[in-house]
Amino acid sequence: MTDRILAAGRIALGAILVYAAAVKIPDMAAFADDVANYRLAPAAAVPFLGSAVVGVELLAGLALVAGVAARGAALVAVGLLGVFMVALSQALLRGIDLRCGCFGGQEPASWWRVAEDAGLLLLAVAVALRGPGRLWPERPAAEAAAG
Amino acid sequence: MVLLRQALLVVAAGVVAGLGANALSPRPAPLGQPVHAAAEAAAGACLADPSAAPVVRIAAAEAAALCTACSAGFVDARSARDFAAGHVTGAVHLPPAGHHDEAEALARLATFHTVVVYDGEDSCRLAEGVARRLLGRGLRDVRVLEGAWGAWMAAGGPGSSGACVACQHGPEAHR
Repeated sequence: MTDRILAAGRIALGAILVYAAAVKIPDMAAFADDVANYRLAPAAAVPFLGSAVVGVELLAGLALVAGVAARGAALVAVGLLGVFMVALSQALLRGIDLRCGCFGGQEPASWWRVAEDAGLLLLAVAVALRGPGRLWPERPAAEAAAG
Repeated sequence: MVLLRQALLVVAAGVVAGLGANALSPRPAPLGQPVHAAAEAAAGACLADPSAAPVVRIAAAEAAALCTACSAGFVDARSARDFAAGHVTGAVHLPPAGHHDEAEALARLATFHTVVVYDGEDSCRLAEGVARRLLGRGLRDVRVLEGAWGAWMAAGGPGSSGACVACQHGPEAHR
């Protein structure tokens, strides 16, 4: 049972990461602007950092969905979500009015997104610690051979 | 240990994939250039980057007066879709990727004393690039609209709805 919950959570987390990356790719310049507005990284590093975040989101998401190197990808997701939470929180606490940049578009940063990231972070921690899980129980070898 | 190795691999592959995605994106992040936070500049938008010796700026109100007096040509550096949705009346659509008939567009713009380039970005990056190109192609008085398209709308500048009748005789955009 735990295995199924883990696997479902892993696939959901991966799909959310893939979606978040996919919606940013058509307008990477806008995402770079969003990253700059968090005022955490030097301006010269912003375009590179923005591109790297999108790529890491995409690859970690694909690995989680596919269940390949899933624990490592979950650890990467823990790092990403941790950074997102810190970035969002510091911007909100400093009163910087900015777009979240979470899923592209114009959506403003909010504590709601921080809470959502916290939920996803717990999921990522569970997969990193407990493994990728399985959707279907492993069939005994004899049964598999007979079937 | 395996876990860390997997994670590092995902990060490394992700960085490469991200740079690849940026290269393939229709609107890539400018890797060689700094990107500043919008609010770090004085007016909050379309700020000059002193290190890059920016093109001269023009305020939306001043530019709107030039449009009404038909003494400035306008260049829209945004995407074709944004252009179609609304633009400065009579503006030439000249995105960073170029015009399908750039020589003709340049000849039309050369009939104006002043050319005003605008985009829809907080940073005015696209307009800066196009303005530099126009200056490089021999146009003399090329300026970038402060505050971009947003400021033009806020200033009540003539839009494609046709308020700027005089501009109709100037360069007409290809559509």
